[in-house]
Amino acid sequence: MDLISLFVKSIFVDNMIFAYFLGMCSYLAVSKNVKTATGLGVAVIFVLLVTVPINYLLNKYVLGPDALIQGVDLSFLSVIIFIAVIAAIVQIVEMVVERFAPSLYNALGIFLPLIAVNCAILGGALFMQQKEFANVGESAVYALGSGIGWFLAIVALAAIREKLSYSNVPPALKGLGITFITVGLMGMAFMAFMGISL
Amino acid sequence: MKLKETILDPIFKSNPITVLVLGICSSLAVTVTMKGALVMALSVMAVCGISSLILSTLRNTIPGRVRIIVQLVVVAMMVILVDQILKSFEATYPIDKQLSVYISLIITNCIVMGRIEAFALGNKPIPSMLDGLANGAGYGLVLLVVAFFRELLGSGTLFGIQVMPAGYVTNNLVILPPFALILLGCIVWVQRSIQKDLQEK
Amino acid sequence: MNTNNNLYTVVYTTIIVVIVAAVLAFVSQSLKSRQDANEKAETISQMLTAGGFGTKAEFQAMGNAKVLETYGNEVAAAFTVDAAGAKVADLDIAAKEVFSRSQLKAQNYKVKAGEGYALPVFIFKNGITVVPVYGAGLWGPIWGYIAFEADGNTIHGAYFDHESETAGLGAKIKDDPAFQAQFVGEKAFFGESPIFAIVKGGAPKEDGKSLTDNKIDAITGATMTSQGLDAAINAWLGAYAAYFGTAKAVEE
Repeated sequence: MDLISLFVKSIFVDNMIFAYFLGMCSYLAVSKNVKTATGLGVAVIFVLLVTVPINYLLNKYVLGPDALIQGVDLSFLSVIIFIAVIAAIVQIVEMVVERFAPSLYNALGIFLPLIAVNCAILGGALFMQQKEFANVGESAVYALGSGIGWFLAIVALAAIREKLSYSNVPPALKGLGITFITVGLMGMAFMAFMGISL
Repeated sequence: MKLKETILDPIFKSNPITVLVLGICSSLAVTVTMKGALVMALSVMAVCGISSLILSTLRNTIPGRVRIIVQLVVVAMMVILVDQILKSFEATYPIDKQLSVYISLIITNCIVMGRIEAFALGNKPIPSMLDGLANGAGYGLVLLVVAFFRELLGSGTLFGIQVMPAGYVTNNLVILPPFALILLGCIVWVQRSIQKDLQEK
Repeated sequence: MNTNNNLYTVVYTTIIVVIVAAVLAFVSQSLKSRQDANEKAETISQMLTAGGFGTKAEFQAMGNAKVLETYGNEVAAAFTVDAAGAKVADLDIAAKEVFSRSQLKAQNYKVKAGEGYALPVFIFKNGITVVPVYGAGLWGPIWGYIAFEADGNTIHGAYFDHESETAGLGAKIKDDPAFQAQFVGEKAFFGESPIFAIVKGGAPKEDGKSLTDNKIDAITGATMTSQGLDAAINAWLGAYAAYFGTAKAVEE
């Protein structure tokens, strides 16, 4: 597949939030205002971009059938390896950022631990496995696109929620309830991208 | 905390989905049919209960710095076990196929990690296990309610058995994931109309 | 005990990982045969459904052993064929050897490349031939089985499955019996190559009966899945064209 179309497709058509509904917990929890939403969004792009290619290489050269040792299929370990890689990378990234870019750490730091348990990151790895990319470049492009898609989705929701706080919502629906419904409607709008082939 | 509250609170008063906002992802994908929702609910209960038990037993020995990794590894082990077991039985094999990656994604279901962090690491093994099971059950309850409406309106069936009259035209919107979110919003609405103290200002 | 000591942390993590890996390896090994049996029964029940030996629900209800038994009673020959339509190797009927999904996937690369493939053919005692198709839908792989009458051209039945198509839309290739029923009686080959088409907006028809021999209705709202299935069918049947061509020549 051509890289540009893969990139566009992973942002809009295969959007992590609206097509797969992954990473919902932090999506709903951290979308109260645009500034923090941007922080988490950037962190997700970054972590996806680092972990997906690494997991791709592991999947191809260590876990696949006959990859490491002839006749041994380690694919039952793939999920556990993926999650361990993600957790380890997140921890390393957190330490590196704290040491070398304290200002970035202050902006991003609190979100990093959240990301290890963000379904979008593990989902990125699992879908990468399912989609069978031809090389590590494609997987990196896919990761970047998915991250940007997630980023756009969370910033859009945060912007809507900031405006919503001025609306007259029924008391029982305030906060969580109306957010669910908003995301549902946004999801329907994004379904328009589903039939597009690039 | 009393044992009874440990068990009953997560099911209604502090339900993980509608009150704590945890574990939304999978609740959307697996609620198209009651069967899928039920298997998912039981899987989450099992994973949540048993990993809480294991990690609560180990809680004083886990090194602080790799806490998250140790938790993830134990949870991942449980999830893979559940997945492998579901694949091995004739009755559950088709359902496992239908749930596909969403079983694996239980690992990052925030309910599991959330309860381990918040409860299991600070409490004795048995209450921790009950807390895990109860949270799984609270999650399952919401899942089943959502699945009930989606299967009834979307396919005209319940557990695969036709309940709607023969002329019923199935509603495709209900089957699509966005509708699950709207339905969740309505459930939150109903719950907060009854329990006024949960309302946000 | 000081649980923040470096050595302790490393040793502890290593022990946990080793224990977990050992447990998983053990479970995975001991359950593997059961899982393979389930996959095989599922594959066979899909072939039998396409062949019209019963419905998928019936096979589901009868359990793995009965499914394998039915297959054993009905199958006459099973072998693989190459691009020229010549037989490559026999499949073991007694052991109920079939092509798993990963085998189909491996063959799909070769079908795309147009050479080097060895595709399975299953011939049943009532003259029906079942062949697999495999391709990409909207979200993930789709695959299925198409059963041909003895003439190697008229479709007797079809069954499709998918990994992650949209429930209620693309998933209808599997769940909607009416979609699969459309295939019955259609002709797959005109001349040498297949020109089967799944048509958006509906195939031309009169009084509900199809006017053409090789066009069926696409699924509303599932354009990409329909196109993917169309491409998969044409690619795979194209790869079988030589085989069905030779089969016909022998008859004439």
